[in-house]
Amino acid sequence: MKKIILSLIMTAAVNSYAAVSEDSKIFTPYFDMTLLEAAYVPSEGNIFSGGNINTQVGLLTKITAKDSIFGLYNFNYSGPAFQPQDSKQFTDRSMSHGFNFEYRRSLGEKFRVRPGVSYMTDYVRSGANEAWQNGLYNMNSKGGQLAADYNFDFDRNGFLTAAYMVRKIAFPNYTDLLREFQNADNTAETSGGLQDQSLTQFSLRPNWNGFFAGYTVTQQNYKHQMVVDAHSGIYGATKQKDKSTTFDGGFRQKLWIFDLSPMLSYTIHRSNQNFLRYKSALATGFANMADGSNDITMVAKNYDYNELAFSVPVDLNVTGKWAIGGSINVIRRAYTDRGARDVDNNYTVAKQKNLMSTLTGSIRKRMNDVATMRLFYSLVVASSNNKFEKYMPSNYTGNSIGVAYQLSY
Amino acid sequence: MKKLISTLTVLLCLNGISFAAIDWESKGMQMAGEIVANPSAFFYDFQQDLEGTTPLPPGKAFSVQTGLFPTLIPMTYLNLSGKYRLHAEGRIAPGVPQVDLIGGYCDMMAAKMAVKDSDTIDSAKLNGYYMGAILSSSVSPKIRTFWGYKRSVLGAKIEFTPGNELDLLGTKIGNIDTGFKDDFLMAGIETPKGTNKVWSMQLNYGLRTQTFSTKLSWSGRFFELGLNIYPEGVLVFHPVWNFHVSF
Repeated sequence: MKKIILSLIMTAAVNSYAAVSEDSKIFTPYFDMTLLEAAYVPSEGNIFSGGNINTQVGLLTKITAKDSIFGLYNFNYSGPAFQPQDSKQFTDRSMSHGFNFEYRRSLGEKFRVRPGVSYMTDYVRSGANEAWQNGLYNMNSKGGQLAADYNFDFDRNGFLTAAYMVRKIAFPNYTDLLREFQNADNTAETSGGLQDQSLTQFSLRPNWNGFFAGYTVTQQNYKHQMVVDAHSGIYGATKQKDKSTTFDGGFRQKLWIFDLSPMLSYTIHRSNQNFLRYKSALATGFANMADGSNDITMVAKNYDYNELAFSVPVDLNVTGKWAIGGSINVIRRAYTDRGARDVDNNYTVAKQKNLMSTLTGSIRKRMNDVATMRLFYSLVVASSNNKFEKYMPSNYTGNSIGVAYQLSY
Repeated sequence: MKKLISTLTVLLCLNGISFAAIDWESKGMQMAGEIVANPSAFFYDFQQDLEGTTPLPPGKAFSVQTGLFPTLIPMTYLNLSGKYRLHAEGRIAPGVPQVDLIGGYCDMMAAKMAVKDSDTIDSAKLNGYYMGAILSSSVSPKIRTFWGYKRSVLGAKIEFTPGNELDLLGTKIGNIDTGFKDDFLMAGIETPKGTNKVWSMQLNYGLRTQTFSTKLSWSGRFFELGLNIYPEGVLVFHPVWNFHVSF
């Protein structure tokens, strides 16, 4: 799941560069700072606070009429928060530094190419408050991308962007503790680097008059992680490969006194990795999904799912400064082969389905042309037919209230 | 506006059933545990409250500042900060940013007072300083971005009287000498809200300890109201009230 989030972040980052305006100045700074802080009250567990900080600092340098360079630094902190099922704990936090450099070359009036390089380091911290450097899922990513823009409607900002990017991703601290335990007498490093992977992504995104759509294919090839054989239950010779295909679309429009920005996306995720569920460390016997109550059960294609997500944020502009906002966000994930588990960790006949809905009400104040402040309340309802919740909550409700600031230039 | 508040109130009431009972006692114990685990980080957050890390207003050459809340009251931090403008924006050449030097010192009086009332502590000091520089550049008539560096140091030292050392799980601890030291990078943006009034937002990031914070502030001619946020701190929100004069 972390990998999917990572790739989505990267896609978003690449797309954001295209949004920076280019005017006649030699230097055009870009600054965007968003701050969100909230209190969370879940139905399970205690109250906690969390937030999100995102700071983007960029500079566009126009070298000639056709050539320019864009540099961007991005700091992102994601604090404790309610999470979709099967993703991460509420108390997990992450902090990343991203550096991107992009060269832009105009080819005629309608075409532009944008080769670039990127480096990102991501720290992940669990509720145990380990030092940032020691996070099990800390990650470094480096690579390059090539994007091309075709402007087909100057009057209504119509353009088509095709982008291809490659990343080498390393998890320097990741290790398989179970394998280390099982091979305690093995002094060679056999359990590290299992998350290391190469990632390639292709995307095609048309934009026109505030409407947008996208088609994105992400391929993740693991360097060391082998696939658990579905018949023998042991690691085979095949390396893990994951593929995600996403279709998305939406628009940003102002209709009378309403600001609308709905978005819909559909993701098909497929992996060749399987999963062997042990009920206990001393479990014996081996069965497939047909016997879901066995102590050891092989779940072939455990990680394959289809996910539908949509959000409908609406702001009603009461005055030039004040607005009332409402938003509905829904994420629905349906696993294709993974069975739902009962409270005793037995697989049932039904396939697992997760649903997370968020209803938000807010008050927004526009402080001036570049700054806004928003006070919000959210209700989260997460439900799933998976009832085994010893490690991660699947069914919960949560309330949060918070404040968000944004300054963007 | 009244209708809006009513709507939100109804929404909150309707969903009240899904609130869990909040265990304030365990929350308090968790916070106390975090303070004991890293007291310097806890106290350093208050030092950041008094640090003046915004640029001098255009046209001003220097300023003095003192933190009133939560630094002087209730934390008893006596503190004084200053800023001095080395270069006004565009003075040497068009586009050259304003350069300010910043710095300050603070000393916690409560630590000294505790020694007087204690038979087991010989001396206790909790003081700190910071120094650095800020570059600021206008990118439009209403927007100024600023960038800076600061070095912050906080020292915490407690000496126990011989024979009254601290007993921690059977281990005698004679003295506690700890502190916080880091080099920070800062980036922020400010926008005017009226005559002598500025709204600003900034990020501070410590390179070695990876401590970070955001500061929101509404600054007037004499006072600054702020909301400092320490996402990884024990107390996440610090409302701040500082007094300053610029010349």
